[in-house]
Amino acid sequence: MREPRPFAQRAAVAAVSLVLLGGVAACSGPQDGGASSGGGDGKAAKGGKLTVLNSEAQSDFDPARLYTSGGGNIPSLVFRTLTTRNRAAGAAGTKVVPDLATGLGTPSKNATVWTYTLKKGLKFEDGSAITSADIKYGVERSFAAELSGGAPYLRDWLIGGDTYQGPYKSGKGKKTLDSIETPDDRTIVFKLKKPVGDFPYLATQTQFAPVPRDKDTGTTYEKHPISSGPYEVVKNTNDGERLQLKRNTHWSQKVDDQRKAYPDTIDVRSGLDPAVINQRLSTSSGDDTAAITTDTNLGPAELAQIGQDKALKSRVGIGHFGYTDYLAFNPKVKPFDRPGVRRAISYAIGRSSVINAVGGSSLAEPATTFLPNQKAFGYTPYDHFPAGGNGNPAKAKEELRKAGYPDGLTVTLTHSTAEGEMGPKVAAAVQQSLAKAGITVKLKGLETNAYNEKRWDTDDTPGFFLSRWGADWPAGYPFLAPIFDGRQIVKDGANFNHAQLDDPAVNKEIDEISGLTDLDAAAERWGALDKKIGERALTVPLFHPVYQRLVGKNIQHVVISDWTGVLDISQVAVK
Amino acid sequence: MTERFTGLRFAAKRLVGAVTVLLVLSVVLYALFYLVPGDPAQLACGERCNPAQVAQVRGQLGLDEPAYAQYLHFLQGVFAGRDYSTGTSLQHCAAPCLGLSHQNDQQVTALIVAGLPATTSLAIGALVVWLALGVGTGLLSALRRGGVTERVLTVLTLAGTGTPVFILGLLLLMAVCAYLRWLPFPSYVPLSQDPEQWAWNMLLPWLTLGLFESAKYARLTRSATLEVLAEDHIRTFRAYGVSERALVTRHALRGALPPVIALSALDLGQVMGGAMLTEQLFGLPGLGRLLVDSVRSVDLPVVVGVVLVIGTAVVIANAVADVLYALADRRVVLS
Amino acid sequence: MAVQDVLAPGAGDPPAPGPAAGARGVWRRLRTRPSAVVAGAVLAALLLAALAAPLLTAVSGQDPYTYHDELVNSASGGAPHGAFGGISGTHWLGVEPGTGRDLFARLVYGARVSLLVAAGALLLQVLIGVSVGLAAALGNRWADQVLSRITDVMVALPMLVLAIALTTVVPEDFPRPLLLILVMGALNWGGTSRLVRAQTLTLRRLDFVAAARLGGSGPLRVVRREMLPSLAAPVITHAAILLPSNIVLEASLSFLGIGVKPPTPAWGQMLSTATTWFRADPMYVLLPSGLLFVTVLAFTVLGDAVRTALDPREASRLRVGTRKEKTRD
Repeated sequence: MREPRPFAQRAAVAAVSLVLLGGVAACSGPQDGGASSGGGDGKAAKGGKLTVLNSEAQSDFDPARLYTSGGGNIPSLVFRTLTTRNRAAGAAGTKVVPDLATGLGTPSKNATVWTYTLKKGLKFEDGSAITSADIKYGVERSFAAELSGGAPYLRDWLIGGDTYQGPYKSGKGKKTLDSIETPDDRTIVFKLKKPVGDFPYLATQTQFAPVPRDKDTGTTYEKHPISSGPYEVVKNTNDGERLQLKRNTHWSQKVDDQRKAYPDTIDVRSGLDPAVINQRLSTSSGDDTAAITTDTNLGPAELAQIGQDKALKSRVGIGHFGYTDYLAFNPKVKPFDRPGVRRAISYAIGRSSVINAVGGSSLAEPATTFLPNQKAFGYTPYDHFPAGGNGNPAKAKEELRKAGYPDGLTVTLTHSTAEGEMGPKVAAAVQQSLAKAGITVKLKGLETNAYNEKRWDTDDTPGFFLSRWGADWPAGYPFLAPIFDGRQIVKDGANFNHAQLDDPAVNKEIDEISGLTDLDAAAERWGALDKKIGERALTVPLFHPVYQRLVGKNIQHVVISDWTGVLDISQVAVK
Repeated sequence: MTERFTGLRFAAKRLVGAVTVLLVLSVVLYALFYLVPGDPAQLACGERCNPAQVAQVRGQLGLDEPAYAQYLHFLQGVFAGRDYSTGTSLQHCAAPCLGLSHQNDQQVTALIVAGLPATTSLAIGALVVWLALGVGTGLLSALRRGGVTERVLTVLTLAGTGTPVFILGLLLLMAVCAYLRWLPFPSYVPLSQDPEQWAWNMLLPWLTLGLFESAKYARLTRSATLEVLAEDHIRTFRAYGVSERALVTRHALRGALPPVIALSALDLGQVMGGAMLTEQLFGLPGLGRLLVDSVRSVDLPVVVGVVLVIGTAVVIANAVADVLYALADRRVVLS
Repeated sequence: MAVQDVLAPGAGDPPAPGPAAGARGVWRRLRTRPSAVVAGAVLAALLLAALAAPLLTAVSGQDPYTYHDELVNSASGGAPHGAFGGISGTHWLGVEPGTGRDLFARLVYGARVSLLVAAGALLLQVLIGVSVGLAAALGNRWADQVLSRITDVMVALPMLVLAIALTTVVPEDFPRPLLLILVMGALNWGGTSRLVRAQTLTLRRLDFVAAARLGGSGPLRVVRREMLPSLAAPVITHAAILLPSNIVLEASLSFLGIGVKPPTPAWGQMLSTATTWFRADPMYVLLPSGLLFVTVLAFTVLGDAVRTALDPREASRLRVGTRKEKTRD
């Protein structure tokens, strides 16, 4: 999973919160979604031009490089993958469904070998047939250093994935990856190091999109990737700042039951200020009547404004995306080695203030579980340290006394100086609520890059800091394993197991569940595991964000699934 | 020594000075950004890259070399060009090659060229606005000096100098686009694509930057005009009964123009280097935005490239301003 | 002389030979200008408010940090309850949306940062600028070449970018206001240095300086006794322009998120979170931007008045339109 944004560009970075007005208007983070019929459903019409107003450029429009959840939004218009997310609103949208493949894949008995068969009649934008070799090549090139950026699962799971360096000359060693076999043009087999029940979820990512070897131009492929989806690239200006798409005539609805592809052309314009995007959508004149955004959320000020306008309110879609913002502890740092201290902080936290600091109750829901509050993740409600909305100072003080701090204590909370979920306002809210329990919090703000480096540095992780985690796909594995699996503690690189928990029992349970191919059964056990780990108070879950997004007047057929929390661009129609 | 030779020597000296300035600038930037937190290889690779892969990316970007070697390669690219691998083929980056972006592997020169139209559009339009507004206001307040009009204009221009450009732009945006709805929210349309749309969308950025800069020009015009008005020949004209209005518009203006033109050249140089706040506020895909984005992602080649281009623009603007001023005013001696 | 020197305020026209106008004379002239008096009064009030911030907030019973969840409407984005951004007897200027922090307290505490940083940076800028300018003008050819080129680099640098880079390089424990002073001071002295160099070159040729030199005064003594007093007027004039521009620069840096660290309040930083509240809570935007505006305006007006007061010739010229001595160099 990645932290900052699901449609992350290569660098999820920001040395300084330079984004003017960023965080201001709208957190241009993952954003939004929600199952709503924003612009009113009615009969969807084919044709017309859809405008997309975004703040982040669709940089690196190469299937090897994109880090997406479920294949991304705009990318999935051009890149079809073996499987994909179900294009339905709400919880139904968290299901994984076949895309290029005929099914979700056939696992071997122990789920270490996954076999897929391609549908018949699949074509690239030039009319040539899509074969299993094209998919194998697409996966292989994502291992090249030149095309880095994707999710780590392929490297971790495929046999030989840890040493393979891609098909290009610059990489050392063998040029092909033997653990992917293509016995015929329509069959592809993946051989894994260990049992993986979640493989169908992984196969939704763009690395599983076909790439014809003879059309591959390395790092320049992103200018005009060969489309397998309903749209092809007409022009890619300024590294994805403007992306003009038109219908791919070789794509057929008959072999794609997920994408609706109503508009004839799609014009994606990015680099816009979030405040400007929302203003344009609310004004909704000219081309903007048929405009949407796939990355900008309504901010607190805009919500306060829209609250007074019924017509505008009807154009807002509400969405959920599996995200948890939390207080992280590093028990290697004193006094957080004492469970009593961690429990005291858990009791003392006042979630109402924290939620107000990120925009109030319409933009965030209080969290007491680490897993997001969605069934697909295996959500099992628990509240081990009930604090209510405003904290329970009495209980917190009692815990402190038992832990040997009868007179309270002073701790340092590290946070980002960039406005937002890990920013100064949230930190100050934490500071305020802990003060009531006799815990003095000193704040230490770091610029975004420095903050991330510190947070991810195993040897130098602060004892107490703000963090967040989002879903690569709606299941327990990508949510819990990177945070709590002892073998995923990364020594020199980005580490997300901040607590550096390495408990054999937890590791074993993670292994067992991740081998299950029955996804419902797996979800249930992930929920139980989350509840169990929660007792240790290694994190204090704060809130799950809620995303509110505005669309233009003439937008129809707004579908927002709980997988992405974003309105699905492949379903949108223009009146 | 002949007049001409002096001019040549002057030009040569300026050129050597300019190149030195730019070289120093590039060294300073390299040194500075070497210390900035954020590992470029990790940033380029993505946060979930494993250490081995980060190392591989580091090698591919040439970041495993010592700092001085990286800088020398950079210089080599500027003067002789370099070759880069795209994975499937070799790509030649001709001199002056400023390197490849760590973030997206685009040639820095290409990124800069892509940013030029927006920045130029902004600079030229804003120039027109600030000249028209600034000189007009300055002349008017010189003409009405001592009166209420002058007082009001003085306060207005002082206010203009005191308003940060981001506040000005925001107020304009909200007033013109949100409340009054006279203009659509600006989104950049290239001139080559649709001149009419280009102009409509640039109007607000032009006004913002133009208004912001015009205050300075109003004050300059006013004081320069008053200076001319105090000269002997004007007094003679006045004695002959030439009207004050004619004096100001015909004679004083001519005297006020040299400093205005010279300052314009300087400011144009600065703005060409990217009016960062303005570009960011209106989402103009220009050099200022490119710079801000690359600083954020510690994309050193782009930062250095853009700053060098900005530096060059400023240095050229300085030289042009000097020459223009020398042509217009005998007080300045090329020395 | 390069064109910038001519365009620099107060430059080009070296001050009248002889000792600079006495402080008392300047004060008298300033007092007769109503605009200067008003600006001065505004600044004095502001300065007082900044200095007495703890006292003022004690009177209002508020502090700039405490959250008041009950004062904002959580369901509608955290907009303050009540009219005009929640103005009430306890919260004189209303509260901040989302957090309910007291705006009056944040504004007066914010004034401390803005004024302190601007003044500190100014001091540094003048110090460096005057030293480098003097050294360039009085040193040998090489010193002049090197120092002038360095000055060129300083002027050519895109300041914001370097400020951004510098603020990220320095360890996070380093006190922020001091860092801002150092960064702004170290980057923005080019103009002062050019001005001083040009003025000094002119002064050196003037009679009284030459006389002092012939009279056997050492170079340092000449600088101290003859040049610095004569440089005072143009430098003060220039400083009067620099100060408000420092305030704007600090606000811009805070606006970009690299100013003082939250939760310490600063005007620019308040503005950066306030901008989107323009329609839902106009007070939240108007207060910091209005205050910033008035402050900068007052400084500029006062600076203008000081300039005129220091250079009585200009005042009389503007009034009577008499001929002005034109010096050539």
